[in-house]
This record gives sequence, C-alpha cells and structure tokens, in this order.
Amino acid sequence: MPPEENPTAPAHDAPHPALPEGAIRLLNPDGTLVPGAQAPMGREEAVRLYEAMRRQRILDERMLVLQRQGRIGFYGAAQGEEAAVFASAAALRPTDWVVPALRQAGILLMRGLPLYEYLCQLLGNADDVTRGRQMPCHPEGSRFHYLTMSSCIATQVPHATGLALAAKKKGRDDVAVGYTGDGATSEGDFHAGLVMAAALRAPAVFVVQNNQWSISVPVSRQSAARNLASRARATGIPSALVDGNDAFAVYDATRRAVERARSGGGPSLIEAYTYRMGAHTTSDDPSRYRDEGVTAAWRPLDPVDRLRRWLERAGLWTGEREEALSQGWVQEIKEVWARAEAVPRPGVDSLFEDVFRAPTGEIVEQRDALRAHVERFGSASDEAH
Amino acid sequence: MSDAEATAPTLDEMRSFYREMLLQRRFEEAAARVYTQGKIGGFCHLYIGQEAVGTGAIRALRPDDYVVTAYRDHGHALSKGSSSRAVMAELFGRSTGTSQGLGGSMHLFDVDRGLLGGYGIVGGHVPLAAGVAFASKYRGDGRVTLCFMGDGAVNQGVFFEAMQLASLWSLPVVFIVENNLYAMGTPLSMQTPVEDISLKAVPFGMDRDRFEDRDVFEVRRRVGRAVDRAREEGRPTFLEVLTYRYRGHSMSDPARYRTKEEVEERRLRDPLLFLEQRIKDAGAGGDLAAIEESVAAEVEDALEFAENSPPPDPEVATRFVYA
Repeated sequence: MPPEENPTAPAHDAPHPALPEGAIRLLNPDGTLVPGAQAPMGREEAVRLYEAMRRQRILDERMLVLQRQGRIGFYGAAQGEEAAVFASAAALRPTDWVVPALRQAGILLMRGLPLYEYLCQLLGNADDVTRGRQMPCHPEGSRFHYLTMSSCIATQVPHATGLALAAKKKGRDDVAVGYTGDGATSEGDFHAGLVMAAALRAPAVFVVQNNQWSISVPVSRQSAARNLASRARATGIPSALVDGNDAFAVYDATRRAVERARSGGGPSLIEAYTYRMGAHTTSDDPSRYRDEGVTAAWRPLDPVDRLRRWLERAGLWTGEREEALSQGWVQEIKEVWARAEAVPRPGVDSLFEDVFRAPTGEIVEQRDALRAHVERFGSASDEAH
Repeated sequence: MSDAEATAPTLDEMRSFYREMLLQRRFEEAAARVYTQGKIGGFCHLYIGQEAVGTGAIRALRPDDYVVTAYRDHGHALSKGSSSRAVMAELFGRSTGTSQGLGGSMHLFDVDRGLLGGYGIVGGHVPLAAGVAFASKYRGDGRVTLCFMGDGAVNQGVFFEAMQLASLWSLPVVFIVENNLYAMGTPLSMQTPVEDISLKAVPFGMDRDRFEDRDVFEVRRRVGRAVDRAREEGRPTFLEVLTYRYRGHSMSDPARYRTKEEVEERRLRDPLLFLEQRIKDAGAGGDLAAIEESVAAEVEDALEFAENSPPPDPEVATRFVYA
C-alpha cells in the first residue's frame, strides 16, 4: 500500500511559520481563543504559567549576556520554546518525574529550586551541588523529581520509561515526562524507548519539542515524514501534534496524556511544533546556516507575548504588573548572581570525592600528589577568581 | 514481469519452486540430524516452515541483486544460488564452506552470488543493508538490496535508524520482516501492542505491504512490486510476511512457550504442502517422487562433501582481518 499520512515533507529547508496540517491550536497569536476553544486552565494558573515563562525569557537574556562576557562557560536558552517547556510542566503534579533535555531547566525554578542554586550550577562553584561536574544548564533536581540532564540525544525516552515503570512497580500513580528535540526522533534510543514504554504500558509522556533545527540540520533533511507525532504509530501509542507556541494547546494535550498515563492507559507522544528563535547554544551561530528572515517571521507567533495578550484581554494582566514582574526579577537575578559569582570554585580536593564512600589508597595517593603540586605551583582554579 | 504471469505459474515454474523449497526443507532436516550427532557445532537456526518467504522473495530478484539477512540464513543462501555443498560445508566449519569455515551457520557469505551475510546480532544487519543500497545508488548499478529480518529485530533502535535513512535518502532497498510470531520465546503480543508490524513504515513515509506466505508465487508477486519500486523509482518498501517456524528458535530451544496443537495446526497450512497439492491438481503429481529423489541425492552429496572436506588451515584465522 502507498505511504499514508506521511507524504514526503516539502523540500524547503527553512520551515515557514505556518502550522502543519492537523496541528491543534487553541490560542491565536493575537491572544484570542480559536472559535469554540476554551481556556484549559484556571485564571490564576494561567497567570502563574505566564510569569514562569516571562521569567525564563528574562533569565535567558541575562545569562546569554553573562556568557558573552565570559562569566559562564556555556548556555542553552529556551527562547521561543517557553510554552512547550512550561505549559507541559504545568500540567504535572510535583511528584511527576521530569526528564529534561537542554532547554527545560526552568522547570526546576517553577518547581521551587532557589535561583541561587540554579546560578551556582551555571558557575560550577563550590555551592553547586554537583560541584562543577556537569556543564552549565544541567542542574540536579532529584528532590523536585527532576532528573539531572543527560547531554546524549534521546536518552530521555528510555530514562523516562524507566522512571515511569519504577513508579508503576512501586504502586504510585506518578507519571514520568521525557523531553526531546526533533533530532532525537532519528535516534535508535528514541524508538527502542517508545517500544519498551508501549509494550510495558509505562505511565510516561514524551514531549518532542520540534524547534525545526537539530543544531544546523533542518527537520526536512532528517526525516521523510511530514510530522514527528507519527513516530508513535509504529508502536501503537496515541500521539498529538500541537502548536508548540500555544501554551493552552500544549497544556491541554499534556494534561490529557498525563491523565491517560496516570489512569493506566499507557504512554503518549506529543509533538510541540515550535521554532528555536536563538542559537542552538552559545557555541553556535545560526546565521551561518539558516535564513534569519524566517526567524523574524516567527516572531509574531511568540509564545510568551501570545499568552500575555490573552491575559490582558481577560483583564488578568496589565502593563504595571508586567513592569513590576520584570523589574523585580531583573533585580533579583542581579543580586543573586552577585552572591553566586563571589563563591569560589570547588576545592581541588573535591576532584577525588563522590566516587567511593571512603577513598581508596590510590585515590589518597593521587590527591596528595595533586596537593603537593598545587602547593608548589598554585592552582588554576585560584587564579580564575 | 506482469502480475498475471506471476500469479499463474507454469508447471515448470511450480516444479522448480517446489524443488527449491523442498531442498531447503530436506537440507535442514539433515543438518538437524547431524547437529545432534555433534558434527555441526555452535548455533544452528532452522528455516523449516518459512521456505516460501525466502524462495518467493529471492525469485523476484535479478541474479546480480543483493541479499542481506540475519542468522536464519540457510534457505536464503540456497535460494540465492549458493551450492548445497558449500552451505553444508560451512555448517560443518570446513574450508570449502561459503565463508571458508570461519562463519558457520549464522554467517553464510557468498559475494559472487550477491549474498552479503548472514549476521548474528539481532537487527544489526539492517543498517548494513541500507549501506549496501546506498552504494548501489551511489554507483548507479541498478541493483536492489533485499533485507530479511525477524519480528524481534523491528524493536531494535538500529532498525529505526536504518528505516529513517533508507526513506530519507530514497534507497533501493526492500525490508522484509519474516514474522514467525516469536522472538526466541517471546510472543509478538509481549513485544508490542501493535499486531500489524508493517505499521513501522508509517513514521518514515515508506510504502508497506503485509501478506501471508502460503502461496510462494503470491510472495514473489508482492515482493516483485517492491523490487520494481526500488529499482525503477529508487524508493524503499517495508514488507511484513506472516509465516511460522515449526522448529525451535535454534537447535537449543525446545519451544516450550507454545503448544503442540498450535504447531500441528500451522503444519496443516504448510506452503510446501500447498504447492505440492497445486502440482497434483495440475496433473503432475507423478513428478513429485523424482523431485524428492533428486533432492535427497543432493542433500546426501552435500553431507558427504562437507564431511570429507578439510578443516580450515590455522592461518586462515588472521587472513581476513586486515586488507
């Protein structure tokens, strides 16, 4: 039989902002609801979601500047993808596991991680609980049911499946959500994880943030399929394709998927169709491989502004509140950053800790040798501050 | 070949297909016998029951097309034209085997006949088949690659990666899942909630087809369409052929995970019996004894050849490591 549902993707390399066929949208870019649609959440909840999204936008902007000043080694922003990140997380309970990719660290702040801890992780200083051993933007958050990020592409699918099965085995009704980008859908792990989740009916939800770019490779050069939600067809799990810049559509799809998982209905996959407005990371310059005119065309679809327009129309938000949120947050970031930046790097001794409960003879030997070396020549870590 | 030709085989074709399938059956029955006598070492996965799939599929190919397969590969090698002597000798681990005794049952390799393995890792050969098809496209040699796998392989990550690339790069490859319902002892229903394996093609926008193996000529016709598509349009196809193995997963599997009744019921639907009946209906039942006799003689000759062949020279161990 001929290929169904997935005719070959259009040949353009730079995706146009038009929504793909079949994608669900509840909130128009101008902040009005699509005819017949209803806001899927309460008014207060919508305000809190907006605040989290706006804070992330401001935090990202500030951190990108600090990275350019050489004060952070690396940064991966969520610009343009805030609805996909925060609206999906807003549909979870605090005990539901989040298995993040690069752009979901803000979920931790939403769940209550103090900004100080977040910034210490970016700096990799002595107050960073992982003591500088992970790259920036890879915070640890197990107390918030947030798995520390794996930099490997697509591992989130088998990891979320594992966490979901663990919850099921323990008789808890917690759900695990694994986040990936579009590039991950080409990985073997992605499919093997889906197969496992489907066969064992893991209470998991997989959110694919299709931001159109796997670093510099557009989706059209990675996949002959028209959409990525159809990946689920191969394993027989339900899927949804939503406007990823529409916080309401993302929230609603996630809520349904989470309910299904929690009530024993097995896993689901959500493709949030969005656009990466910035670089892949601070180590990338997208102007070298993509038409930034297309990026500009996505700007009117901005997910943060879109939700704000709805709030304003509903009388839940004003220019004054916006100003207060923005100023207060900028001030907080400034103060907390100053505190965090003043903290020294982890001591060299910390290199030898956290592997064995009690250090082995070899480790003691190496530690002593390094101590002697530092005593004689000084430490690069000291010079940096 | 037109569809009509394919569905209405001549009596000669029926005899020829029958002999090919019967040879595979008797060849493996003999192999199983000598395996239990300790003459064949290592693993040995029998194809008995599935012969119509490989026979019909490979008959849809040109002689210069490629076949890449997994470890249940004896029948595929015989269909692709490897001699029963060389295949049996390989099972015995002798220097006259298809792989000079280095591969054994799972690693039959016959480059002259376009058989590029025989692989032991589940799903591991699927990207290799995509690579072979990529080479054909790159060289423009007009060849098609046929890749056989079992139902367990389709849950491996590399399977999806290969499907993705074959589809994205429009490779002249036909993937055939021989769905014999069990991945070793794991029934399909425990592996995936999707009963229709051909749905694996959907995420990749690939053509697909799904059918039973009962009529070997129908297998040839349906695979032929996919082969034509690969050769003429440069597009891959994903096929699921529903089949059944009468023996265990390998010689070391007593197959306790299924009932005797199930196996007996499936034996009644044996494609070999179906073809036999068809020949009888065509009034040529009298030819069957001669075919049986000639096959028995060929198997006997293969066994004798294998037993009398020398083991590989110890030097062969390092000969094929570096170019």
